[in-house]
Amino acid sequence: MTNQTKSQFIAVASITSELSAVMVVAKEISLAAANAKAIAFRAGDKAKGFQPITDFINELAKETIELVTNINIYALVLYRLTVDEFQKTIAYNKFELAAKMAEDAVFAKTMQGPVDHAKLSMQDCQRQFKRDVSQLLGQLEAVMHHARAARVIAANSRIEASQAGEYLQSLQAVAESVDKAAHTIHDNVQRCRIALSIYRNS
Amino acid sequence: MKMTKIYEGSHQWIMFGRDEGKPNNIIDTNQYVVRTPNRCLLLDPGGAELFAPMMAAVLHHAPVDQITDLFASHQDPDVISSLGLWDQALTNAKLHAPAVWEGFLRHYSCESIEYIPIPDNGGTIKLESVELQLIPAHYLHSSGNFHVYDPQAKILMSGDVGAAIEGPDSPVFVDNFAAHVEKMRYWHQRWMPSNQAKRVWIERVRNLDIDILAPQHGRMFKGDDVKRFLDWFDALQVGIAV
Repeated sequence: MTNQTKSQFIAVASITSELSAVMVVAKEISLAAANAKAIAFRAGDKAKGFQPITDFINELAKETIELVTNINIYALVLYRLTVDEFQKTIAYNKFELAAKMAEDAVFAKTMQGPVDHAKLSMQDCQRQFKRDVSQLLGQLEAVMHHARAARVIAANSRIEASQAGEYLQSLQAVAESVDKAAHTIHDNVQRCRIALSIYRNS
Repeated sequence: MKMTKIYEGSHQWIMFGRDEGKPNNIIDTNQYVVRTPNRCLLLDPGGAELFAPMMAAVLHHAPVDQITDLFASHQDPDVISSLGLWDQALTNAKLHAPAVWEGFLRHYSCESIEYIPIPDNGGTIKLESVELQLIPAHYLHSSGNFHVYDPQAKILMSGDVGAAIEGPDSPVFVDNFAAHVEKMRYWHQRWMPSNQAKRVWIERVRNLDIDILAPQHGRMFKGDDVKRFLDWFDALQVGIAV
């Protein structure tokens, strides 16, 4: 296995690992939203500005979970494509070797068809992989966008929490947890993007 | 890869083996080819490591598009782990292999090649005017195992039965049976699990008219050495590892 193939396998596997952490965090945000909603309800008028924010947080968490679920399916497709490309590359190399070893054979020329076909198949896989990586990077960008939005919401939450009297600490804790989760999502997704960016279709 | 023609008649049998380029840490194997005017059958075509030299050797006898049939006596990697490569190289081929191993052998990748499952009681492979018999050899050593008998050429391809581990320069035929016995003893005692299966196989094979017994490893037996081998194997206790 070449270093290029190894790093391709590692890149694809690391996406699944990073995204499973993102999924956990997104679920935590969803829980924080439910918690915030209950506090805001108890706080009544003192947390009036906080109530619509909890809906935003919840919506954002749901969308992130949905996006990550789709990306995971896509990552699996990418993994299969990597395996396929690996097998096609091995075949191409072995066919070329067979053609070379058969130079003095009566039917040596008949090996050219399989060699050409294997080369085309391998190149198709490589192109498909680059196309799929570009699309996956687009989807990861959408998750990043959600993470950035979550941080803005967390900042707004802090402002609204400051006006919530005795509920200030509870609501600030919610804002903190959303901010922290958004940070984690951002960092994990960024690592996925870096791992994949070298394979992007130029 | 050494090539030895072992039968020449209306069709040909060619033995391939003793590959000089083979990595030392993989077992040496014999591959056999049955060649008819327009078709070519590879018997136990070998492991993935062996694909390129094997394909190159076959091209001395047949063009790629006339390699129409593969046979796998059982599921072992030294027998057929090259399947995924043949699958990509051949556009219109069939794999004849034990039915019980189909789901396992497909792990090697078998998308374009058609899998022809051999039922437990055996069958035939028709190669133009040549009809080869698939002789059950279950538990020798694999639980789903077949040998190939050609009544016209009087050759029995016997898979792991009759095998011995030999050096790369060893002759392709047994020339001194008594001396050869020690090269086979442990192999058969350790790899063959069932005395009952062995007896059934010997009874079946004694009814065949065999000039050459052609195993997947080591040397082939011809003439009286075939009977000598059957007598020796009959008397041997196998399944010693329990």
